[in-house]
Amino acid sequence: MPKHLPKRPLADQLEEVVQAMLVSLQPRPEKSPHRDVAPLLSIARELRFLPREEFRATLKSDLQRRASMSVNEGTESAAAATAKAVHYMRPGFTSITPYIIVNGASQFIDFLKHAFDGVERLRVPAPDGTLMHSEVAIGNGIIEAGDANAQIPPAPTDIHLYVNNADATFDRALAAGATSIYRPTDEHPSGDRWGALKDPFGNRWYIATPRGWTPGPEGLRSIQPYLHLREAHKMIPFLEAAFGAEDVGTHKTPEGRVLHSTMRIGNATLEIDEAHGEYQPKPCVLHVYVPNADAMYAQALRVGATSVEPPTDKPYGDRSAGVKDPFGNTWYLNTFLGR
Amino acid sequence: MASVTFFGVSSYYSRAMKATGRPGKKKTHKRAASRNAKTPAQAEERFLVEAAQSDPARFAALYELHFERVYGFIAGRVHDRATAEDLTSGVFYKALANLKSYEWRGVPFVAWLLRIATNAVIDRSQRASREHALTDDPPDPGIKPDMRAIEYRARLFRLVKQLPETQRRVVQERFVDQRSIREIATRLGKSEGAVKQLQLRALERLRAQMEGGHA
Repeated sequence: MPKHLPKRPLADQLEEVVQAMLVSLQPRPEKSPHRDVAPLLSIARELRFLPREEFRATLKSDLQRRASMSVNEGTESAAAATAKAVHYMRPGFTSITPYIIVNGASQFIDFLKHAFDGVERLRVPAPDGTLMHSEVAIGNGIIEAGDANAQIPPAPTDIHLYVNNADATFDRALAAGATSIYRPTDEHPSGDRWGALKDPFGNRWYIATPRGWTPGPEGLRSIQPYLHLREAHKMIPFLEAAFGAEDVGTHKTPEGRVLHSTMRIGNATLEIDEAHGEYQPKPCVLHVYVPNADAMYAQALRVGATSVEPPTDKPYGDRSAGVKDPFGNTWYLNTFLGR
Repeated sequence: MASVTFFGVSSYYSRAMKATGRPGKKKTHKRAASRNAKTPAQAEERFLVEAAQSDPARFAALYELHFERVYGFIAGRVHDRATAEDLTSGVFYKALANLKSYEWRGVPFVAWLLRIATNAVIDRSQRASREHALTDDPPDPGIKPDMRAIEYRARLFRLVKQLPETQRRVVQERFVDQRSIREIATRLGKSEGAVKQLQLRALERLRAQMEGGHA
């Protein structure tokens, strides 16, 4: 009689299903599941809704301040103003969203739908039929896209995309018009199952399925911009100083060249490495939600960014400022002002 | 203020005695606040509502009592943290502004708050369908609050606050901030294995407390 398969520790099994739940992916099937995993997972599902402690405290002090003022004066506008101060991200957005400028934005949206199950959220056409702006949700993130024109040149972007099944997504992307750089493989240094392809619009896609789940890739978001930079090591302190980013894992060669780095801003991450081979710098546009666009704009300029656009209130309901980093990437720093 | 009828008081006490098995006399100090209230908890709540109605600074006590219920209900409906926070703020601002219009008619205060919350959720999903012809967030007909689910979730949220400090921090960072085990390990200066153990112990403790029924 064969021995039982050794059970993985409950803590590991639990972490795997928690990780899968948090990124809405399917965990790999457990060979010998622990009977306590299911009831613990049902607690974990509820914990997804756990409120932020800071929010609970901030709202309480808002209410106390309002209560101490005249309760019946200007109720709605004061409430709206406070809400603006507390909630700075447009619903559905994460902290970092790539803004991809292409020739043929409509066709690009079709590609995202066919290749990656993209769901169109918004489309704002210009009078000439080109797209001024569009939003496509993929997984737990969003990609924004617009048509290039005489003033705005194309700015393709490299994206690291986490999916349920890298091989299946890879094949669908090829069918939708992409070209393979290399097929998904288990040999990628990240440890994930990982493949690379190019779409017809000049964007590169790293299609990956996280493997093993524990230790999971840092800050798992479906969509992570991937910036190949010259002198990438200088980007890390710049991101920290300009945008309050946090280095959540950097691997360097002994000489200090960045092999890979994950940087977190707010609730999302982006990745950088030293440009190499065909992976050369490709200045892109990133749309970042920040608590205070004015303050972050000023801070970015202080540490070496240049101004693209000073902070202004936009008709779509954000306060937005634009800066260019020393590597040529454009950052839109937005604060959601309410509807 | 309406006068308290002897009949009303005596019927409240007889109900309370039947419900609790305790003699009604011990409750006499709450008489004014508890008329028509069905349970001591409701009487207590009515006392808080009346206090806040005459002095808005005391609204904080009602907020403390009901925040988890309102937030948990909304968060379960909108599946988006920023929206949940936005709508929750709106509900409490509105409740504070309209507190004087709330009248005790045997309807618990939480039901009043959840009615405001339900309307806020419906308003938002209707606005979303108007803005986007193809919305992935259609109006939900089954919007009626499920009190059992709301109480369960609110109790769980309160239990998280009572976890040992490190376990509480792991739960917050893992589920609220959605940080990876690796990140949390770095932040806490612990090994990944230790963080996974802390996560496991926190969830086991919460599960035991939820099943045991003692908050």
